[in-house]
Amino acid sequence: MKDQAWSRFIIVAVIASLVGSAIGIQMIRIQNIPAAAEILAQSENYRGFIETIYPERGNIYDAEGNLLAGNEAVFEVGLDLVSVAQPETIAAVASSVLGLDYAKVLASAQMSPGNGNPYYVVLDGFATKEEIAELEKIKQEYEDRKVGRNETKPTLKGLIWTAQNKRSYPEGDLASNIIGFYSFLDKTEGKGYFGVEEAYNDLLAGTPKQFFKNYDPVEIPTTETVPPGASLVLTIDRDIQAMTENVLSEAINWSGAEAGTILVYNPEDGSVLAMATTPRLDPNEYWKYGEIFPNPTPYNRAISKSYEPGSVFKVLTMAAALDAGAVTPETVFHDTGSIMVGGTTITNWNYGAWGDQDMTGCMRHSLNVCLSWIAMQLGADRFYTYLKNFGLDRNTGIDLGGEVHFPLKVPGDNQWYEVDLATNSFGQGISLTPIQMVMAIGSVANEGKMMAPHVVKSMIIDGRQYEVNPVIVGTPLKAETATTLTSMLVTSLEEESSVALVEGYTVAGKTGTAEIPTEFGYTSSVTNTSFVGWGPAEDPKFLVYIWLEKPTISIWGSEVAAPVFSDVVKNLVVLMDIPPDNIRLQSASTTNGE
Amino acid sequence: MKTNFLHAYQQAPWRTQLQWIGIFLLILVIIAAIAGVYLSVSERAATTGRQIQSLEEEINLLVIENNDLASQLASIKSIKNMQARVEDLDMVQLDPQQALYLEIPGYIPKEAAVLAPPARSQSREAPVLLPEFTASLWDWFLSKLSQPQISNEVQP
Repeated sequence: MKDQAWSRFIIVAVIASLVGSAIGIQMIRIQNIPAAAEILAQSENYRGFIETIYPERGNIYDAEGNLLAGNEAVFEVGLDLVSVAQPETIAAVASSVLGLDYAKVLASAQMSPGNGNPYYVVLDGFATKEEIAELEKIKQEYEDRKVGRNETKPTLKGLIWTAQNKRSYPEGDLASNIIGFYSFLDKTEGKGYFGVEEAYNDLLAGTPKQFFKNYDPVEIPTTETVPPGASLVLTIDRDIQAMTENVLSEAINWSGAEAGTILVYNPEDGSVLAMATTPRLDPNEYWKYGEIFPNPTPYNRAISKSYEPGSVFKVLTMAAALDAGAVTPETVFHDTGSIMVGGTTITNWNYGAWGDQDMTGCMRHSLNVCLSWIAMQLGADRFYTYLKNFGLDRNTGIDLGGEVHFPLKVPGDNQWYEVDLATNSFGQGISLTPIQMVMAIGSVANEGKMMAPHVVKSMIIDGRQYEVNPVIVGTPLKAETATTLTSMLVTSLEEESSVALVEGYTVAGKTGTAEIPTEFGYTSSVTNTSFVGWGPAEDPKFLVYIWLEKPTISIWGSEVAAPVFSDVVKNLVVLMDIPPDNIRLQSASTTNGE
Repeated sequence: MKTNFLHAYQQAPWRTQLQWIGIFLLILVIIAAIAGVYLSVSERAATTGRQIQSLEEEINLLVIENNDLASQLASIKSIKNMQARVEDLDMVQLDPQQALYLEIPGYIPKEAAVLAPPARSQSREAPVLLPEFTASLWDWFLSKLSQPQISNEVQP
C-alpha cells in the first residue's frame, strides 16, 4: 500500500516536472524566436502609448509689451468610438452646433473601432469656446432630463472635446508684413512663413517632446513639462507702426500710387521702429495669402523688392566723394546741362544747365550731371569700394524671413559698362531694397557708423529676458563726413523750401524720382518716388524712408514722397517724445551752463 | 522505560493537528495582511497617480486659458478697437502740429518692455517648502550637532 502511494506520488511529480519544464522551455523559446522583438513591441501597445507634446508657441510683443502674436483657446471635438452610444444624437447635435455635415458625422459615429478602423475620429479641429459652451449645455440638459419608462434618455456619450492652443494675432493686419504668419491649420507640421515667424521659427516653436504614458495607474507618471517656445520682444513700436500704416494708406489714396513702403529706423542702434508696406494680410486668415499676394507680389516690399532708387542714392555718392576727399562742400561744378560718359550723354532731370553749383547746390537741385562728374572724380574703383562698404552688394541680414538683394554690377563684370559709373551715381542702373538704402544712409545719420538693421529687441527664453545687442556692420564714413553731409542736406532742404520740412525740427533729407526700367527702356511717365530724411539733424533719433510706386498724381518725389515724409515726422516726434529744436537746444545750453 | 518516556511526552494527535491548523491560519493571516497592505499602497499610489494626471491636465488647461485671456485682452486693447472706442466717444485725433511740447518734472517717458527677469539676474528663487518641513529627524540631529556651541557666559 505504501509502495503504491509512493509510485503514484513519483508519477505525479514527474508529470508536474515535465509540464513545468515544458512551460519553461517554451518561455525561453518564445523569447528567442525571430518574432520575439515584434511581440515585445506589440506588448508595449498594451502597456501604454507614446504621446508627443508640442510646446506652446512663443509670443511676439512690440517694444512696449503689447501682444502682437499669441495663442488663443480652441477645442478639438472628436469621437471616442468605443464609447459612442447614440450615433444619431451625436450627429444631430454636432451638425446643429458645429455646423458639420449630418451624414458624415453619422457615418463616423456608426463606425466600429478596431479591425483597421480608428478608435478616435476628429470631427472639428477648431471649435470655438462658444460652440463648446453650447455642447456642454446640451450635454448637461440631456443628463438632467427625466424620461418615461419606455423612452430612451438622449446622450452625447463618445463625443469628447479637448482644449488646444491656436495662434492668434490680436492686432489683425497691423505689422503683419513684419510678423509673418504661422500655418496653424496644420497641427503637426505647421511652421512660420515670412517675417519674424519665419526667421525665428525654431525658437518660437520650441522643442516637442515624446513621453511614454502608462496605462497602469499604479505607476505614478513623471511630471511632463515641456517649456514653451521663446517669446520675442520687437523693436517695433505699435503706435508708430499704426501711424505709418495710416499715413501710407492715405498717401496711396491721395497719390494714386500702386503700392508703397515706409520705414522708420533708429540710426543709432539699427532698430526698426516701423515698417509699413502694402498689401497686408490678416495673419488670422493666412489662407488668403494667394489672393492678396498674387505672383510676384512680395510679402514685404521693404526687404523683398529691389528697385532703382533714383536721386535718393545721391546721398551715398556724395558721402563717398566727400569721405574720399574727391570733393569738398565748397567745390564748384559748372553745369552745362550734359556730360558724356562712356559714349552716352547724361542730362539733368529737366534737361537744363544750372551753371556754377557748389556741392550743396548739386544736391539741392538734384543734378545728375554734377553727380556723374563727382563719381568720375572719385573713380570707379573707389566708388564701388564705397558701395560695397555700404553693404549694397549683399543682404543686410535683417532678422526677417524673405530678404533678397539684387547683384551689384562692378567693373570687370560682363554687364558693367563705363556709363554705369555715371548712371549709378544718381541711382539708375542699380537695384536696391529699401532696407539696404536705410542701412547705408543710416551711416550718414550716425556719425559714419553703419548699424545692422534688426526687429528683435530681446528674447524670453526659459523665463529670462535676453537683450539683443546692436551690431556695427562697419564704418564706411568718417564722422566728419557724416556731419558735413547732414548739414549740406539740411541746408539743401531749407533752401528748397521743401514740403518735407517739419516746423520746429531740423531735418536732413533728399528726394528721389526714378524712371522705371522696362524691356523697351526707361519710362518717364511712370516713376518710383522716394524720400529719405533723418532728424533732429544734430542728434538723429530717426531715419524715415518713403517709397511710393507709380503715383498718378505726379511723377516727382519732391511732390509725392516729400510731403509723406513730413506727415510721418510730424506724428513721429510726438510719439517719440522728441522736443522741438528750441526746447532741445535750450535744455542743452542750460545743461552746459551748469 | 524508553517507550513509556517518549509516549509520556508525545503530543496528542489532536493537539498536533491544531498546531498545524494554527500555523496555516497564521501564515494565511500574514499573507492576507501583506496583501491588504499591498492593495492599500497600490490603491493610494493609483489614486495619487490619477490625481497627478488630473492636476497636470488642469495646469495645461489653465495655461491655455491664461494664453486665451491674454489674447482676448490684447484684442480688446488693439489699435483698431481703441480707435473705434475713441470715435464712439466723439473724440478726434489731435493734429500733431497743434501739440505743445511741455517738460513736466517727473514724467516717465516710454520704457522698453520688461516681461521677464533679465538673464544676468542673480536673484535666487525662494524654496516653496522650508527645510523645517522637509528635513528628517536625522538631518535635524546632524545639523544640531554641526552647529557651533554658543555660550551664554559673558566674557570678561
